[in-house]
Amino acid sequence: MVVVRRRWFQAPWDFKESILFAAVALIAGFAIQYAASGSGITLPRLPFNAIALTLFAVMTLGAGLAFRNNPLVKWLGGIPLGLCLIFAIAVLSLVGGIVPQEAAAAGSLSAQFGLNQIFSSWPFALSVLLFLGNLGLSLSWRLIPFKVQNLQFILFHAGFWIALSCAIFGSSDLQRLIVPIEIGKANNFGYTMQSDTPQPLPFSIFLHDFSLEEYPPQLLLYDPHSDKLLMNRAQAIIEVQKGTTATWKGIEVLVLDYIPYATPGTDGVPVAADRSTGVPYAKVRITTAAAPREVWISTGGPKIKPDAADLGNLYLIMVPGTPKSFRSAVTVQDGKGNDTMANLEVNKPVSFMGWKLYQMGYDEKAGRWSKLSLVEVIHDPWLPAVYLGFFMIMAGNILFFWNGIKRSKVAS
Amino acid sequence: MILDFNTAAIVAIACWATGSLLHLFALRTPALKLPAVVMTLGGSAVMAGFIAIYWSALGRPPLRTLGETRLWYAALIPLVGFLVESRWEIRWLKYYCMALAAFFLGINMLHPDVFDKTLMPALQSPWFIPHVVVYLVGYVLLAASSLTALHNVYLELRSKKNENGASVSHYLALLGFVFLTFGLIFGALWAKEAWGHYWTWDPKETWAFLSWLAYLGYLHAFRYKIENRKLQWYLALAFVVLLVCWFGVNYLPSAQNSVHTYQQS
Ligand code: HEM
Repeated sequence: MVVVRRRWFQAPWDFKESILFAAVALIAGFAIQYAASGSGITLPRLPFNAIALTLFAVMTLGAGLAFRNNPLVKWLGGIPLGLCLIFAIAVLSLVGGIVPQEAAAAGSLSAQFGLNQIFSSWPFALSVLLFLGNLGLSLSWRLIPFKVQNLQFILFHAGFWIALSCAIFGSSDLQRLIVPIEIGKANNFGYTMQSDTPQPLPFSIFLHDFSLEEYPPQLLLYDPHSDKLLMNRAQAIIEVQKGTTATWKGIEVLVLDYIPYATPGTDGVPVAADRSTGVPYAKVRITTAAAPREVWISTGGPKIKPDAADLGNLYLIMVPGTPKSFRSAVTVQDGKGNDTMANLEVNKPVSFMGWKLYQMGYDEKAGRWSKLSLVEVIHDPWLPAVYLGFFMIMAGNILFFWNGIKRSKVAS
Repeated sequence: MILDFNTAAIVAIACWATGSLLHLFALRTPALKLPAVVMTLGGSAVMAGFIAIYWSALGRPPLRTLGETRLWYAALIPLVGFLVESRWEIRWLKYYCMALAAFFLGINMLHPDVFDKTLMPALQSPWFIPHVVVYLVGYVLLAASSLTALHNVYLELRSKKNENGASVSHYLALLGFVFLTFGLIFGALWAKEAWGHYWTWDPKETWAFLSWLAYLGYLHAFRYKIENRKLQWYLALAFVVLLVCWFGVNYLPSAQNSVHTYQQS
């Protein structure tokens, strides 16, 4: 194939110049990052970030419309540059997908170039900004004059523009605080992930109760010599219930009785107790080469030591089930007379005066006896804008799917 | 597994094997066409039935472990082969699809899953099923797209005639992209409910974003009328990124504290 090779910077610009441009942007970004000795960027907060973003949008659209026939502007808003910037962002994301994004030793290569926090680094910010510019220009030409057949394009590109820009410009207004609360107490201070200094909240949270429900306890066979748990024949997690059976090589176990909450009794037989004091007990029949025998085993708890069945060089043990659900009954109150009672649970956050409250964690050592609940409170004023972008992309997606299906009929 | 996975898998593989043979014979004897189709669809039906029984035995959707997701792939991939055959009259893809499905079942037979009914609280959400299933379908379509593209590359290298191969890989990539986009956004909406923020650059999210970018790049390159030969190479290789995202992430240094690597078992 004979192609007359276009020289560098000979009009019309195309991929070569785009690659150069994106590469220069990346290199410049890393250079700034290095010069700023690894510190990331601090964005302004409301209303200044909103003003900056509006100005940026107006300027991009204005430039696109005013110079729609200028070859340089055309190139700036064209697919080749878009592709190269997508590639640049992909490369940075690749770094972020491989290098652990956590604190690195100060002065290390990774810290100096911001590789350990790539998504708030200068090269990333620069690429995203250029990307938004490129996307905005291409959008301006399809927005005006408006045509219905451009709707899919507009929904995708404007949706992505809005979601990305608002997520990034709004990140400085995002507040995420963890509020530790003990049962019977209230707290109106929260902690960020990064610092130990308590931050005051515009409301207080009172914890009435914390409760945790577990899956049934599990039977396991423990080998103390290798410190390993042995997998049973059925390759199953064995949930303890009356009638449960389990088989290991040469060992058969049948659960004869199961008491979810009990305390040790005098003659070795546990007595049923209430939820707050009792621990799970199970009576198992163990059949090995020797004669079958029956023993009580238990998971133990904060005040009760566990009971295991000694099988010579192995132990049959019972461990508490994993958490199934946990919830906090709280009252949230601000100083202005607004209050709400709510149950916080994982996947079921509760809204209060522009904040969202999440059940986050508890004292894991204490398990279901935890007297402490960790509630995360989040304020994100930019969320509606980001979601608007998401819904536009999804609407574009539906059109795209529909057209894809339709057009494919023509192709066949 | 408590249910007999091995029996179900062997029956399904046998269905696909006989179905494939019948398909080959049907080239000569058209009367065999119907039994061939019945056999091959039967394999997927067996897997679908197994998934249903397994689901009810577990008391939760079997979408938590890698092994569990492979069950779905095995059931779905052959169906894409048929979709392609009925839409675009391309017959060879279904054989690859059935082989791939059998391969997935083979992995599960060699590494039996642990039967575990528990589901951590973060996964107990109405978003769980749509998010994972949309991704599954997306991966299945993109796997088929890559296979087709690879075939196109091969035909091109051998200078063979290839009528609508390129449009098949294109449309499969397009549909796959649609599902990836939904998966990404459903994931973000769910993350907001479960973890408090829609995007935290968790390694899995980062890789999902990367694979989405890969196909975004493809769509724009296609629009820009890049040479078809290059596009087919691109599509064939893009699947590598998806593979990393699907299970490679578990092995990357960045993923040691990810919130959603698949459970290893
Ligand atoms: C980087 C800047 C971008 C530029 C310059 C750009 C430009 C374009 C152009 C010119 C088209 C062809 C539209 C048509 O013929 O109707 C297009 C198509 C498309 N773009 Fe973008 N785009 C960019 C980013 C994005 C992003 C971020 C998304 C995802 C949300 C996206 C999704 C799409 C889709 C789905 C199509 C349709 C492809 C097709 O019809 O085959 N684009 N883009």
